[in-house]
Amino acid sequence: MSMFRAKKLDLGCFVNIKTIRDHTKRKVFAENEPERQALRYIIRNMSLPQRARVQAQVQLAQMHCYTRPTQIRNRCIEGGKGRGILRDFKMSRYMFRLNALAGNLPGVKKASW
Amino acid sequence: MAVPRSRILDLIKVQCRIFSHTFNPEGARLGNKVLRQRLKGPALAAYYPRKMATFKDLQKAYPQWETYDEEQEDRLEALKIIKARGKGAPKKKRTAAESKKFKGKKRAAAVAAA
Repeated sequence: MSMFRAKKLDLGCFVNIKTIRDHTKRKVFAENEPERQALRYIIRNMSLPQRARVQAQVQLAQMHCYTRPTQIRNRCIEGGKGRGILRDFKMSRYMFRLNALAGNLPGVKKASW
Repeated sequence: MAVPRSRILDLIKVQCRIFSHTFNPEGARLGNKVLRQRLKGPALAAYYPRKMATFKDLQKAYPQWETYDEEQEDRLEALKIIKARGKGAPKKKRTAAESKKFKGKKRAAAVAAA
């Protein structure tokens, strides 16, 4: 959602709407994480009154979808792709191959045996 | 030798006080595991590299220095070549009438028929 988006582009990697969106979701989640955890604590605490727990459940369910951690997906910083990402390098498998063969990734070497 | 339960509970109580745990002998679900979790928001938000200074910023910061932006110069040169060959983008239309003049075959045919 554009209301969460930074007014000025603050990404230094490959930029398309999907990476911008994912970046925004990450920032929104980081901002709202304490609140979410507090609500989750209330929901899971059986010593609290049932009514308060149900209220907390409703409140958590009604939070914006951008505040959910499940909305976040690792994307390629070189090409913005969403599948086949190597987590250690934050790159899709093809971009990883290109960069590794070009020698841009320290310590990565093509194996042959 | 059996130790009475009350004695063990006392021991657990003291243990909880020393290590600042919650004393919960019945094992009731208090949701403390949520509070024990670390916040992962900052780590997740740091996934994408942030914007760094660009060539334009450098030029703006030091206007008195002579700089050469290779990419930009290459682009402008290519544009010049294209324009010289007459293959460049058309000029921007400034008025509504100008932009309407040649817009699609159908409109042109309709205008001709009328």
